[in-house]
Amino acid sequence: MNLEAAGDVNHQRIVELTLLLLAAFITCATIALAAVGEQVEITWGVVPYLTTLLILWAVVHMTLRRRAPTSNGVLFPIAALLQGLGFALMVRIDPSLAPRQAMWSLIGVASFIAIMVGLRNLHQLSKVRTPLGIAGVLLVFLPLISERDVSGSEISLALQLGRLRVVPGELGKLFLIIFFATWLADYRTRNTAEYLGQVERIEGDRSRLIPLLGGWLLSSAIVIFQYDAGSALVTFTVFMAMWWVAAGRPLDLAVSLGAIAVTVVVGVGSLPELQNRLTAWIDPWSNPQLGDAITRSLFALAGGGLTGTGPGAGNADWVPGVTDHFAFVPIGEELGFVGATAVLSGYLLLAGVGLRIATRARREFDSVLAIGVAVFVGSEAWASVATTLRLLPPSAMSLPFISANGSALLTWNLALALLLRISETVPEVADQTAILPKIALKSRSES
Amino acid sequence: MTRRILHVGVALLLIYVLLFVQLELIQVVQAGTLRDHSLNTREITMVFDAPRGSIRTADGETVAETVSVSGARPRLRQYPYGSLYSHLVGFITAQHGGSGLERSQNDFLAGNDLGVRIQDTRDLFVDRARTGQLELSVRHDVQLVARAALAGHRGAAVVIDPSSGAVLAMWSSPHFDPNYLSSHDLAAVGNDFAVLNSDEEGALTNRADSQLSEVGAIFTAVTAAAAIEAGLTDLKVPLSNKILTETSTELIKNEGNRTCGGDLTSLLLANCRTGWATIGLDLGRSDLRNRFRNFGLAESVSTDAAIHLSGLLTPDEVGLSAAHAAAGIGVQLSPLHVAHLFATIANDGLRVRPRVVNQVTSHDGSVIRDFTPELLGQVIAPETASKLRAMLAVNVKQGSAQGLALDDVEVAGMLASGFTDNPHVWATALAPVTQPELAIAVLLEGDEFSDSQVAETVVARITRSIIEAVLRLPSSNLEGTQ
Repeated sequence: MNLEAAGDVNHQRIVELTLLLLAAFITCATIALAAVGEQVEITWGVVPYLTTLLILWAVVHMTLRRRAPTSNGVLFPIAALLQGLGFALMVRIDPSLAPRQAMWSLIGVASFIAIMVGLRNLHQLSKVRTPLGIAGVLLVFLPLISERDVSGSEISLALQLGRLRVVPGELGKLFLIIFFATWLADYRTRNTAEYLGQVERIEGDRSRLIPLLGGWLLSSAIVIFQYDAGSALVTFTVFMAMWWVAAGRPLDLAVSLGAIAVTVVVGVGSLPELQNRLTAWIDPWSNPQLGDAITRSLFALAGGGLTGTGPGAGNADWVPGVTDHFAFVPIGEELGFVGATAVLSGYLLLAGVGLRIATRARREFDSVLAIGVAVFVGSEAWASVATTLRLLPPSAMSLPFISANGSALLTWNLALALLLRISETVPEVADQTAILPKIALKSRSES
Repeated sequence: MTRRILHVGVALLLIYVLLFVQLELIQVVQAGTLRDHSLNTREITMVFDAPRGSIRTADGETVAETVSVSGARPRLRQYPYGSLYSHLVGFITAQHGGSGLERSQNDFLAGNDLGVRIQDTRDLFVDRARTGQLELSVRHDVQLVARAALAGHRGAAVVIDPSSGAVLAMWSSPHFDPNYLSSHDLAAVGNDFAVLNSDEEGALTNRADSQLSEVGAIFTAVTAAAAIEAGLTDLKVPLSNKILTETSTELIKNEGNRTCGGDLTSLLLANCRTGWATIGLDLGRSDLRNRFRNFGLAESVSTDAAIHLSGLLTPDEVGLSAAHAAAGIGVQLSPLHVAHLFATIANDGLRVRPRVVNQVTSHDGSVIRDFTPELLGQVIAPETASKLRAMLAVNVKQGSAQGLALDDVEVAGMLASGFTDNPHVWATALAPVTQPELAIAVLLEGDEFSDSQVAETVVARITRSIIEAVLRLPSSNLEGTQ
């Protein structure tokens, strides 16, 4: 630890370090509690992976000190705590997940550092927006091409590349958010210019409808080809939130909502697989075969009650998909209503801080991107938990930072890096360079 | 722009509030209901590998025990008598939950019950694996008799000791071997369970206590009790072969369009539907409903908490007219209910809750929980009960249930058949009439029983053989049931 520099460190980093230590403590305590519980096989073999995780957090913290010293200090500890809790609970359920989770954390942190080091200015992203957009669409629909499950009974949006389990959909959505943010920033710049009379107003311009149409088509395609209402909902919500903030037209919002409603009605009417999922969702009690996962997750949550069974004392592996899209079940079961509420608040806080960052962003692109990312994290977590709580029909939404869902961890680390980059306040606020002479000097000498 | 970001934030907050509310509903408000839900196999699968108490019959046979084995899983649940207790004791699986007593008495068996877990002051501080051992009221010899008598038939039999409410035997067929379900070969268990679960005849269903069938004439015992208590003993129902019900233009007719009538005994002997219907109209719906409830027919007397019979409806609530209900048309009960009804009549109208567990003992044999007979009140006057028994005895001597008659013991009972859809046949009896030692209900199902004559002959033979055998068993065993 770079303790001698502590006196010069930005307030945000001190907050971050304190919260990180707390997150590390909670994570270790959870694993320790689970290990002393009866009938649980947590061996010392977990320790190296846990250590790796903690070292990675330290690495991220040090990177932020050097590369983005004024960035928000709350975001990373929340994400770290969620990830630590997820690690503790998932490893208890399936010890073989430990090396995989540690490896994906490593990859995630590596890409996090890559963004922090390589992407000093987010505006560089707009140069590659077309490739990003295309890559985004391809990634979202990649699972369809590679493994089309004909029976459609198994919810899987993952790819198996050798030993790696890749979930491209989330990364694709992040790319699309970046693409959309650059587009909206341009749109706003042109609108402002038109308003100020700097450029000529183009009458009857319908180009603003392109992203709306795109968002609708994308969400509809996800519903129709992947039967995944949750994923479509997240995509649509993120698009709508970004669009609303950037353009602010209630009529567009209403029309889009109408359009997506049409998709849902048509989809449900014509796709038997969607109907099956819907029946199982509406009445899982009399469809024991189809509704099994739903009823079991409810039973497990109810078994947790107010205070939970305690870490390691649950029976969550009785619920199918518990390390992936039902990742909220072990949290609710073992940590109870109290712990589950805390975790939910964590996501809400993550999204809330993201939106706050958006209000303070220096450029419109940054602002819109921050909104996209914040709503993405918030709505993805919401959809995953809502599925578990039977508020949404079954879908393959994983819980950000918690689910052991392969490459998803990479996506969330990237998203976090973007938000942290946007949250920086230093370079353009002259006053703050006075508070941080060393760091300011450093960044100047580097550039 | 900032204001619109605020909109997004508020919207996000609102949808998260939905999550909090739903979470509260599931984990706190409805938690109890969900934990007791019949589909919920969470708790029973949780304790699959844990130490578990054994289950013994009243005469000392071990019917379920957990043994230590080598392998990945340290313990194996075994059922020495295989399918003999498949429905009563039930099963426990690693993944598919459990049934029967294994499930409903899980708290005792697994040691979750506080009384089991904390047996002395040291248990407050040392976490030792404590289990409770169940001692059943069911007798192994009576259970064997019931299985042998019903061999080759689909149906159920329940034998109750009227004075204590102890269930002496509870047999249901088709049956299964729970050893295959408690096995550690999870793939094979999965297959077996799937096959049993989708079995068309419902092999997993305990017909004795969790399947309702129309009882028909059997229910006229309740109507007769009501009529006697209402002072209609001297009533002579005019002869008729059909009768109009009070609510509809629908007619109730007698079997074969016979004409019948007369006093209560002749109605009983002739199985006179029109006569009972007339009495029903006289008594009214509310009186019949109250009788139904008082006899405990509207509540769950089931041994398996997983099966919800608690929502049983009175004839009134299912929309039966008084005339229909009084004649038993459309009234549905389980064999356990019917045996319970006759046990109450045998016990001079004093209702005792049927039970299958006598006591729970600790590892060293000391009694943790003793289930003494639970008296549920005087349902009908002792004189009414004895009049009813006399009528039912006449029914066996010279009425419609002559097949139940034994040479040396006086039996009182009834038969019911002629159910067109889902053909089945009932027999129920108590014996001996003067000092009843047992009440019995037998239900047989199958298309071969659509013919009343055949059905009643078969069911009477089976029931008679059970009564005969049980009464001849060493009485010391009977005393053993307390």
